[in-house]
Amino acid sequence: MGAVTYPNERVVEFIKRHMVPIQVLFDSQPLAKNFNIQWTPTVITLDEEGKEHHRTIGFLSPEEFIPSLMLGVAICHFDRERFSEAIAMIEEILKDYPKSDVAPEAVYMRGVALYKSTHSAEPLKEAYKRLQSEYPSSEWAKRAQPYRLL
Amino acid sequence: MEKTIKWEKDFDRVLTLARAEKKMVLLDFFNPL
Repeated sequence: MGAVTYPNERVVEFIKRHMVPIQVLFDSQPLAKNFNIQWTPTVITLDEEGKEHHRTIGFLSPEEFIPSLMLGVAICHFDRERFSEAIAMIEEILKDYPKSDVAPEAVYMRGVALYKSTHSAEPLKEAYKRLQSEYPSSEWAKRAQPYRLL
Repeated sequence: MEKTIKWEKDFDRVLTLARAEKKMVLLDFFNPL
């Protein structure tokens, strides 16, 4: 990460705009124990109270790391019921990184966030259809299968 | 534009900054070896 991903200009810019970054050794206490760190790199997205909302383990290229961070920010908003902010970040993932590994999860979360904010089942059905169409082999297409019945 | 990430080292300071700037926190655990 330190040799390839973190020096990337777009990674630097995204983090500067959206996050406060902290880097610590894998055995730094009490953080390593509190966050149960067993392997590196482990990258965790926290809210401003220090609560974890998303984590990744292992190397990610810049093209995968940025959308992964975006999803972490979106899930952080979602978990705190800030659905419009979550949806806005998810839309950016799907616009700028539609081929990324997190894109299918972003489609799924978009459907759920829209459902939670509108109480309409239609976004869940749309998520199922989009996942079947664009990401049929993803685990998220499988997870959305019940929504075909809505 | 800055060319490198400005890593913080103090967790409490990071939470204070995150509240003030209304941002999320990126916490990276790394192994220098």
